[in-house]
Amino acid sequence: MTNPTLRIDDLRLGFKTWSGTIDVLHGISLHIRKGERVALVGESGSGKSVTARIVLGMLQQLKSARISGTVEFEGINLETLKPASRHALRGTAMSMSMIFQDPTSSLNPVYPIFTLFREVLQRAEPGIDTETARRKAIAALADVAINEPERVLESYAFQLSGGMNQRVMIAMALANNPALLLADEPGTALDVTVQAQTLRLMSELVEKHQTSVLFISHNLGVVREFADRVYVIYKGNIVEQGPTAGLFDNPQHPYTRALLSAVPRITGGGIPDIEDDPAQFLAPLFAHQGYSEKELLK
Amino acid sequence: MSPFFRLLAKRLGTSLIVLIGVSLLIFAIARVIPGDPARIALGPNATAEAVLALREKLHLDASFLTQYGYFLADLARGDLGISLYTNRPVMTDIAQFLPATLELVLVSGLMMVAIGLPLGILSARRRGTWVDHTIRLVTMLGVSAPAFVWAVVLMLAFSYFLKIFPIAGRLSDSITVPSMTGFMLIDTLLAGNLRAFADAVWHLILPAFALALSGIGQAARLVRSNMVETYERPYIEMAEAYGFPEKRIARRYAFRPSLIPSLTIIGLDFAAMLGSAFLVEAVYAWPGLSRYGVAVILRKDLNAIVGTVLIISAMFLIVNIIVDILVSIINPRIRLSQRAS
Ligand SMILES: Nc1ncnc2c1ncn2[C@@H]1O[C@H](COP(=O)(O)OP(=O)(O)OP(=O)(O)O)[C@@H](O)[C@H]1O
Ligand SMILES: [Mg+2]
Repeated sequence: MTNPTLRIDDLRLGFKTWSGTIDVLHGISLHIRKGERVALVGESGSGKSVTARIVLGMLQQLKSARISGTVEFEGINLETLKPASRHALRGTAMSMSMIFQDPTSSLNPVYPIFTLFREVLQRAEPGIDTETARRKAIAALADVAINEPERVLESYAFQLSGGMNQRVMIAMALANNPALLLADEPGTALDVTVQAQTLRLMSELVEKHQTSVLFISHNLGVVREFADRVYVIYKGNIVEQGPTAGLFDNPQHPYTRALLSAVPRITGGGIPDIEDDPAQFLAPLFAHQGYSEKELLK
Repeated sequence: MSPFFRLLAKRLGTSLIVLIGVSLLIFAIARVIPGDPARIALGPNATAEAVLALREKLHLDASFLTQYGYFLADLARGDLGISLYTNRPVMTDIAQFLPATLELVLVSGLMMVAIGLPLGILSARRRGTWVDHTIRLVTMLGVSAPAFVWAVVLMLAFSYFLKIFPIAGRLSDSITVPSMTGFMLIDTLLAGNLRAFADAVWHLILPAFALALSGIGQAARLVRSNMVETYERPYIEMAEAYGFPEKRIARRYAFRPSLIPSLTIIGLDFAAMLGSAFLVEAVYAWPGLSRYGVAVILRKDLNAIVGTVLIISAMFLIVNIIVDILVSIINPRIRLSQRAS
C-alpha cells in the first residue's frame, strides 16, 4: 500500500515558558490519504493551528517549542530532515501549501498581486520568466472563476474584495500543484455566503487535482459539506474520528455531542464555550467502526 | 497633470504659506528683542545723527506692517537686505555659509540612513537574540545624548587623545582648492585634487558622525520596532508557509511595509539635524551657517536673522516635501488614491 500523504503519530507539543512547560498537544495521531479531505475540528486553543504549523515545519524552528512524535509527509519523516530540507517542502512543486483565515491581510499590501503570485511560482521554478509567470497566474486565476485576471494581477490586495482575495489565495495555494493543502479556518473572516462560495470552488479544484487537504475549522456546517473524514480535537487530544456522515449522525464522544448540539447545522458561526467536565471529556478516543488509525493504515 | 506634479504643486503651495507665516513670526520676534539695531551696528562711539540716519534708512521708525511690506517687496526680488554685521547682502552671506552646513547635514543624513536602517533591520531579524539586545543597547546610547555632547566626547577621544581625526575646520591649512560650489567634497573633486578630497573627508567624518549619532540610534530603533510589529502580520506567516527565504521575507515582507511609517519620522529626524548642526558646528569650528547665525543674533542684525531663519525653514520644508514624495512612491495606497483623484 502506498504511503498516505500525511501521517502523524503520537505528536506531542509543549511550550517552554519561564514558569515551566505548557503542554499543548498530548500525543495526537491522524493521517490523510492521497486526495482525501480531512477536517480537524475543535474549539479555540485546542491545538489545531499548531498542528498545521508543525506539519509545515514552521514550529520546529521556534526555540521554546518541544516537539516529539512522528510527522511523515509522503513517507518522509520530517524530524529526520535538516531544516533546509524541511524548508524545501513548503510551497515548492508537489509539496505543501496553506490557505489562511483572513485572505486580505494575508497578502502583502505593498506589492501588486502579480508580484506576489510570481514569488509563489518561483518556489517551484526559480528561474521562471515574467511572461511564463503571467501566463500561469492568469490560468490559475481563471480556474478560480476570476473574470478579469489581468486586472486582478495589476491590483493590490486592498483594492480587491475579501472574496476576490480568497480566490487569489486559493489560486496561489494550488498554483504549484501541492500534494497537501492545509487550510486553517479558510475565509472565516469573510461573510458566510462568500465563504461558502469560495470553499465550493476550492473543493472542486482539489478534487480535480487529487490534492489531499487538512481542513481546520470551527464551523461544523462547512466541515459537513467539505470533508470526507473528521477528527475532533479537544484540549490537545483527538477524541473522536470517523467518516463525516457517520460522525455527524451518530456522535459518540460527549465533547462531539456538545459541539454538534451547540451549533446550527448549515451556516453556524464559532463554537461557543462548552462547560468543562473533565471526567467525561477525557473519555478514551472514539473511532467509528472501521475508522481507527490502525484499521485505516493497514 | 500627472499625480506626481499635482502632489508637488500642492506641497509647494502649503510650504509657501508656512514660509510666509514663519517670516511674519520671526520678523516680529526680531523686532521685540531689546536694543537698537542701528546703535549696535554703529557702535557706542557713533553720533546720534548717524544712528538716526541709519534708523531712517532701515525704516525702523515706520509701523510694523510697513516694515514687513518693505521686506516682502525686497524678498520678492530675491533681496534679503544688507547685513549690518558683514555689510554685505544677506543673500551673499548665506550663499557663502550655507553649503558647509548643508554638506555636514547631508553627510550626517546619509550616515543615519546607511548605518541606522541596516542596524534596525538586523536587530528585527534577530529579535530576541544577543545581536538584537546589543544593537538596542548601543542605539539607546546614541539616542540618550544630544549631538553636541557627542561632538565634544568624540573630539576629545579621537582628535585630542587618539589624534586620529583633526580637531577642527573643513580642510588642512596647507591645502587650498578654488571654491566653486561651496561643498568641499565637490570642490576638491572638481579641482581634480584627490589628496584634498581625502583631507576633506577626513575633516568631515567626526562632526558628521557626532551629528548623525542620535539620528542613527533613532532610525535603528524605529525601523526595528516597526519591523517587529510587521513580523506579526498574517502576510508574514503566509510568506513563511510558502517557504520564501528568510532574507527575502525580511526585506520584502517585513521591512518594505514597515518603511512607510518609519520614513516620515526619519525625515523629521533628518530635518531636525539642521538645528543640532548649529551646536556641532560651534564645537568643531565648522565655518557654516551657525557661526553666522549666532553672531547676527548677538548683534541684533535684523535682516540677517530673518534671512537665516527663513533659509533654514525653507530647508526644513524641502526635506518634508521630499519625504512626502518618497512616502507616496513607496505606499501604493497613497499613490493610487492620487491617481484616482
Ligand atoms: N508560540 C507559542 N507559544 C506558547 N503557546 C502557544 C504558542 N502558539 C500556540 N500556543 C498555545 O497553544 C494552544 C493551541 O494553539 P492553536 O493556535 O493551535 O489553537 P487553535 O486550535 O488553532 O485555536 P483557534 O481556533 O483559536 O485558532 C493555545 O493554548 C495557544 O495559547
Ligand atoms: Mg488557529
